[in-house]
Amino acid sequence: MSRRSEQATAWVYRGIWKVLSDWFRVPGHPPTLPVADGEFLLSFHPSRRYLSYLKLFFWIACVGVDIAILVGWIAVFAANPPLGLVLAVPALAVALLPDIVAYVAIHLRYDTMWYVMTDRSLRCRRGIWTILEHTITFENVQNVHVLRGPVQYLFGISTIVIETAGAAEGHEQNAFAVGNKAIMEGIDNPEEIRRVILERVRRSKSAGLGDERSASAPASPGWIPQQLRALRQVLEAVRALG
Amino acid sequence: MDEGWEEVVDLAGAGVDVDPRSITRPHDSLLTYYILVSAATLVAFPFVFIPAYIRFKTLRYRFDDEGVSMSWGLLFHKEVYLTYRRLQDIHVTRNLVERWMGLAKVPIQTASGTSGATMTIVGIRHPEPLRDFLYERMRGARAESAGEGPGPADEDEVVTLLRQIRDALRAARLDREQQA
Repeated sequence: MSRRSEQATAWVYRGIWKVLSDWFRVPGHPPTLPVADGEFLLSFHPSRRYLSYLKLFFWIACVGVDIAILVGWIAVFAANPPLGLVLAVPALAVALLPDIVAYVAIHLRYDTMWYVMTDRSLRCRRGIWTILEHTITFENVQNVHVLRGPVQYLFGISTIVIETAGAAEGHEQNAFAVGNKAIMEGIDNPEEIRRVILERVRRSKSAGLGDERSASAPASPGWIPQQLRALRQVLEAVRALG
Repeated sequence: MDEGWEEVVDLAGAGVDVDPRSITRPHDSLLTYYILVSAATLVAFPFVFIPAYIRFKTLRYRFDDEGVSMSWGLLFHKEVYLTYRRLQDIHVTRNLVERWMGLAKVPIQTASGTSGATMTIVGIRHPEPLRDFLYERMRGARAESAGEGPGPADEDEVVTLLRQIRDALRAARLDREQQA
């Protein structure tokens, strides 16, 4: 693609985004999460390869439908050439317009998918018509699944499903709106993300079922900061004696 | 992403400081939303609208220090109470019409096995402060929650301190004996 047409595409796309954000109130900025000092915050889209993955299905559907339309039009043209000529423009429109819309929709879908990770929690947001947002803390995580189909394997991407207690099989479509599992699609470093989450889960001493601190760490042999401070004060007092 | 979009996409409430604890009723625009949704069903309007209207009229929220309670219903009254500590998932969903009206749903989940949300807080005008309010009270959202007990480093420091106290006491005793 030449530079000029690239610029034009970007301009058109920005225009579409402007309409979306002004009229359809789609947020253009990533979601955020509160973070304490020294904690990391990662905010990212799915992998670029996820976009290619979506586009593969788009091209398959697009070629299939367009060939069907073309065959139909050729049949009409062979049977009745004047009618065929009249139908040429509508047929072309029917063939091309949905493709353009679908292509733009894929890009918008990709651009509205956000994942935000901190030391403690994960927030996913997606959607254009209905914007769905899901927040979980790693403290509550029970299982982490990494799923990968044959086509996803070709693209080197995976889907990570992070379940909290009570998650049921099925409900995949519903899971984003309500449900006990966070789904991260199109991740190209699932091992890394799973490691971060599971490390956090391992460090946690509770069962991830809402246990209170006292229940999860009974009569801990360690010392709390207040006790340490008291000890230091005792030391100072004793030194002052001498 | 251009600058200036943020203001436009303020989603009717981000940045508005509303204390979620003051929420006791769904916002009035929820009724408008119910009317629109019911109208979309055409002939079924009364059958959809009347239950929705009763629900809207009887819906009450109470956010206290420990948890949130939601109750509704006239003939069949229902009250759901859940504690913040047991919260596992916070969702925020906004469809196009809700966004235009500045409304949002906040379905929240505990570990119960239901496929739907444990409680769906509807008719929220500013979901962000409410979401952050719930998030802060969730387990694992802050450092003082379980799982970050004292480490071995603390114990080393305690031993050092105790030894220093012992030595200081001995020194003090020696001083006294010498004075005597």
